[in-house]
Amino acid sequence: MTQPLTIDRITAHYGTTKVLEDLSLSVAEGELVSLLGASGCGKTTTLRLVAGFLQPTAGAIRLGSKDLTRLPAHQRDIGLVFQNYALFPHLTVRENVAFGLKQRKVAGPERLKRADAMLDRVGLAHLADRLPAALSGGQKQRVALARALVIEPPLLMFDEPLSNLDAKLRIDMRVEIRQLQRANGTTALYVTHDQEEAFSISDRVAIMHQGRIMQLDTPEVLYQRPANAFVANFVGFENLIPLKVTARNGAEVTAITSEGAALTLSQDQLGPIPNAFTLATRPDGLQATTQGGAGLPAVLGLRTYLGRAYQYQARAGGLSLIANGPLSQPLDPRTAVTLVPNPEQCAILKPE
Amino acid sequence: MKRLAGWMLASPATLAITFLLVIPVAITVGLSFGSPGQGDWGIVQPYADFFASGFRRNVLWRTFTVAGWVTVISLAAGLATAYVVARCPPWMKSTLIVLAVFPLLTGVVVRSFAWLVLLGREGMVNQILQATGLTDGPVAMLYTPGAVIVAMVYIFVPLMVLVLVGVLENIPEDLLQASSSLGAGPVASFFQITLPLAVPGLIVGAVLVFTASFTSYATPHLLGGTRQMMMGTFLQQRALVAFDWPGAAVVAAIMLAVIVATVLVMTRLARRLNPMAT
Repeated sequence: MTQPLTIDRITAHYGTTKVLEDLSLSVAEGELVSLLGASGCGKTTTLRLVAGFLQPTAGAIRLGSKDLTRLPAHQRDIGLVFQNYALFPHLTVRENVAFGLKQRKVAGPERLKRADAMLDRVGLAHLADRLPAALSGGQKQRVALARALVIEPPLLMFDEPLSNLDAKLRIDMRVEIRQLQRANGTTALYVTHDQEEAFSISDRVAIMHQGRIMQLDTPEVLYQRPANAFVANFVGFENLIPLKVTARNGAEVTAITSEGAALTLSQDQLGPIPNAFTLATRPDGLQATTQGGAGLPAVLGLRTYLGRAYQYQARAGGLSLIANGPLSQPLDPRTAVTLVPNPEQCAILKPE
Repeated sequence: MKRLAGWMLASPATLAITFLLVIPVAITVGLSFGSPGQGDWGIVQPYADFFASGFRRNVLWRTFTVAGWVTVISLAAGLATAYVVARCPPWMKSTLIVLAVFPLLTGVVVRSFAWLVLLGREGMVNQILQATGLTDGPVAMLYTPGAVIVAMVYIFVPLMVLVLVGVLENIPEDLLQASSSLGAGPVASFFQITLPLAVPGLIVGAVLVFTASFTSYATPHLLGGTRQMMMGTFLQQRALVAFDWPGAAVVAAIMLAVIVATVLVMTRLARRLNPMAT
């Protein structure tokens, strides 16, 4: 019943503006893939193309073996959950949930039975006779979820479903969405701008920028091994240090900055290192120390207090970097230090 | 202080309405009642007289049916037009709305004379009918309720379009997308989502058109003639031709009652049909 989704090289325009270019994406059967990015990156456009509210100017969209590309929206059989819930205000909660079944000509009693069973699953059976206006935000989104699930769609899509809810409820709801999606084994496409939400809920995440997918991988890989500077920056690698290899000794690689400061890195920890590359680290992964050692010589700037550590603006030759230092030893501006990268918090970016 | 300022600001309008509307209406309604000792019905004897007359009952019934038809036709035509206009791109929408409002720019008398020219025995419509061989002789169109209905529909459809475009535009796009994602085609979405959500607007439009056509005077006077009298023309005839002021007051009071009842029933209906309406 559930089907894999294939988006095959689609291009889309709004008027004459190109908003998606040659975008391909596959979502395996039962998998949940998130499209993550800032507004205007094309994630919602992609969802609208799959839903059939927009037509691509090139490319194809397939669900299983069915070609959706030219199919009208109402024949696509996709469960859709909207940011603003989009509940029908003139219908009761039960009628809202039964709406899709009614369109499928499911007989009245059967329809109500299935709607009530689904409401029971999302814990809203007691509100079945209310109108949407009488529900809280979380309840509305549960009804929207029940309404999308009850038609047993081969594909579920979520358009920023949690962004109108408060922080605590967001976390509860995303767990609930993930559980229901897992239990039904439904293929799902999830659009969000919230990194934590995308990473916590997804099997794989596509990070999007200017109508293209910058990297599509598991949250773990994205978080630890970003493939390019954009993704590295997006997941918090704020320091980008260009390096050139000068010596290789087994797994050990020695590389220098343009100022000549040398770092020794292990390919066992960081994976293969090309001759020219950029070392990306989070502030956590660059420790400021006055003890010397192997690292980048730098001069500290402003110090800020983070609770678990001090954070410093630092200049190492021509580079502006952000480093952390231990709470035991606050350092003053203009202190000369060594910035020591922690290999567990580093990633190697190949030249683009 | 604040309260006083509020009253002062509202006073010109309040005074104008009191002296120019409330008091005259009260006087007219008062005039419509008879004296207590008179006839079997006491003070409501004039109303009993009105309903005892077959001719007057006919005028009232004709007015009802004409206003009813005008309302129904305007609703259907207005909704269809508004539905198309509301889904147009913005630049086209404003053009279409301006075009729809065009008929409202002509005065009622000029417009009615235009209808006289079109619908007369030797009028354009009859010429076309005969030239194309659809009819042998001229068809009597003028001075029929049909002529009155056509002329009023012509003027009330634009009004209805204006009201309904606003209503349809206020239905969130999300709802229609949700409906289609759940498997409802355009027709099913229209009847299950758009139409129920447009009910408050349809009722506002219906009340506007019904009251305006129920009380209209110039159009039935010019196109309906004296044999097809409606309440408006009958009222004028009572007051200014027969100088029967109490009789005219009865007609006016009945019209007022019908309008008030219509507004009350329709708003009650709006609430019943759409629980979202307040």
